[in-house]
Amino acid sequence: MAERSTISSQRRKALFVLLTPITLLLGAFFLIPLGIMVVYSFLEPGLYGGVVWSFYPYNYGRIFGWPLGGGEEFEPLYIQIILNSLYYAALTVIVTLVVCYPVAFWVSRMGPLAKNIVLFAITLPFFANLLVRIYAWLLLLRPTGAVNTALLSLGIIDQPLNMIFTEFAVIVGLVYVLTPFMFLPIYASVERLDWSLVQASQDLGATPFQTFRRVILPLTAPGIAGGCVIVFIPALGNFIVPSFLGGSKVQMTGNVIERQFLQARNWPFGSTLAMIVMASVLLLVLAYTLWMRRAANNERLAGAGHV
Amino acid sequence: MRQVSEQEVLRVDGARKSFRTPESGVVTPLDGITLSIRNNEFLTLLGPSGCGKTTLLKTIAGFEELDEGEIFLEGRAMSAVPAHRRPFNTVFQNYALFPHMTVAGNVGYGLQVAGVKRAEETARVTDVLRLVGLSGLERRKPAQLSGGQQQRVALARALINRPRVLLLDESLSALDRKLRQSMQIELKNLQNTVGITFIFVTHDQEEALTMSDRIAVMDKGRILQLGTPAEIYDTPKNRFVAGFIGTSNIFSGTLAKDGGTSRVDIEGGPAIAVTADGFASGDKVDVMLRPEHFALASGRTGAGGSLDAVIENIVFVGTDLHLHGRLANGLPVVALERHARGAGALSLAPGQTVTLHYQATAPHLMKSQAA
Ligand SMILES: Nc1ncnc2c1ncn2[C@@H]1O[C@H](COP(=O)(O)OP(=O)(O)OP(=O)(O)O)[C@@H](O)[C@H]1O
Ligand SMILES: [Mg+2]
Repeated sequence: MAERSTISSQRRKALFVLLTPITLLLGAFFLIPLGIMVVYSFLEPGLYGGVVWSFYPYNYGRIFGWPLGGGEEFEPLYIQIILNSLYYAALTVIVTLVVCYPVAFWVSRMGPLAKNIVLFAITLPFFANLLVRIYAWLLLLRPTGAVNTALLSLGIIDQPLNMIFTEFAVIVGLVYVLTPFMFLPIYASVERLDWSLVQASQDLGATPFQTFRRVILPLTAPGIAGGCVIVFIPALGNFIVPSFLGGSKVQMTGNVIERQFLQARNWPFGSTLAMIVMASVLLLVLAYTLWMRRAANNERLAGAGHV
Repeated sequence: MRQVSEQEVLRVDGARKSFRTPESGVVTPLDGITLSIRNNEFLTLLGPSGCGKTTLLKTIAGFEELDEGEIFLEGRAMSAVPAHRRPFNTVFQNYALFPHMTVAGNVGYGLQVAGVKRAEETARVTDVLRLVGLSGLERRKPAQLSGGQQQRVALARALINRPRVLLLDESLSALDRKLRQSMQIELKNLQNTVGITFIFVTHDQEEALTMSDRIAVMDKGRILQLGTPAEIYDTPKNRFVAGFIGTSNIFSGTLAKDGGTSRVDIEGGPAIAVTADGFASGDKVDVMLRPEHFALASGRTGAGGSLDAVIENIVFVGTDLHLHGRLANGLPVVALERHARGAGALSLAPGQTVTLHYQATAPHLMKSQAA
């Protein structure tokens, strides 16, 4: 058969040329460090930082209890911390979701000016440094902080509430930092929702609740899923919020990893912990991608809709 | 045989609705509409684009609130009844099919939310899909259908609930002629058998004339005339209605009554003999003559008249010839002749002068709108 330059083969060539730089960039800045981490997690920690180049699976043993050797002991604390982190991240996802979903509908119904103001306000925190913003919460939540002072002077409480350096403070901080990440994808999907479908549902006799469950929720689900994933991932790995607002009481994997790298100078063990966090994130993203493929199918069909 | 009873099922009373537009203007798509719809009737709304037809359907369905006025279903005010409790179903102008559901899911939706049993739902979905000619497409998603198929899904989805009143917004517009005719017949059958009342919006005059029990001609948020297709066609109230339905020759002039005979003197042109009950001499009037009221042969029996015209164009449309010509004063005129073959064939050519005869009863007088 004769070689033919079809449109699709041309398109593939163009795509290849266009994608090469970004692929190389990602390769250099993402895959190589990742590779280093994978390798390091199987190496022996050196006595004064650094690594010894010998196969050493016992970093994993220290966390999971197997395989053990080389003087490493099983420390169930780490599994506890990982589970805790998963719990905090999940709680953050739930709180931000519950806050953002109704607000997204409210904002999408606003006039154009009000809408722009709100959207600007939501992105505003990105302009200020994260540390500064977290520090502000420290001032708000500490026993002599603004919240306690206000409640005391109103007579609602007569003892300062113990908020700072608690689980509560960490959740507040995480929710505060990550709310925009939940809001924006949800808002995008709500904004795209075709209200004539809601009318069609009512027209066919569906109660408001039925309309919500059968039309609104499925059509905004991609936004919800997207928001959940991009809130869960940074929540799980976050170490700034727990170290500022959680004190020594609240440990998340992010803190532990940070400490392994910067204080204990045990790079292999830090890498191992990071690998475990990453594996759980990867599983989540995989589930999300599979699910999105199905949703995208529907979406593509919807896009070709009306004539 | 079906009888459209005189009993009123739906009543729109003094409906008024305005929108603020982004151009900081105000449009009033409903400007005091009063309309009584009889049980089991097929009522068509006809009017130019943007005159408020869709808005009227939306207020009836409950998606828009009226600024003023009220809608009654069998005497019961509807303003406090939310859309999902109104026994009306709508076929939306843009179909509004649920993209995440299959054809069967879309069509069965109304039954599912009403809690109808699965088996019955399946049976009824199958039935109604057969009715609209979509059997076998149950598992497709809306985007995998052609425009006409989507429109029929929308129709099936509304029909399956057997509503008291079915609101159809240009719901046959995307279908080819043959399919459209078969859907028209199905709708008429449904009207006869199930007893649904139809409010139908269309831009297709022929469809309006053949399907409707009554037609409401709308313009700028008002109903200009409400009547049977024959009334609208034969005795339009004004120039707008006359021009909107069918082809017409409309001449403006002044009525002159002279003993037993009346005529309309057209400005700068001939006079047209008319019968003028209910008008006084000197009234400014519009006279309408339909193309089929003209005959080339003066085989008239009673009183009448004629106009001389120069033929400019002859259009052959199968059964008929449309003669486009001009009167001596330059006004355009259209006449219609039956097409005949062989010996009876007309030997007409552009440039030829012909005499167009009409009967005295043919011209229809309307109050001039300018006056
Ligand atoms: N939500 C709205 N906001 C502002 N203006 C509106 C709104 N809905 C309709 N209009 C205006 O009201 C007028 C009537 O609209 P409507 O949709 O009822 O027209 P229609 O008779 O159905 O026209 P068509 O035959 O083109 O479908 C139009 O001028 C339209 O621009
Ligand atoms: Mg419309």
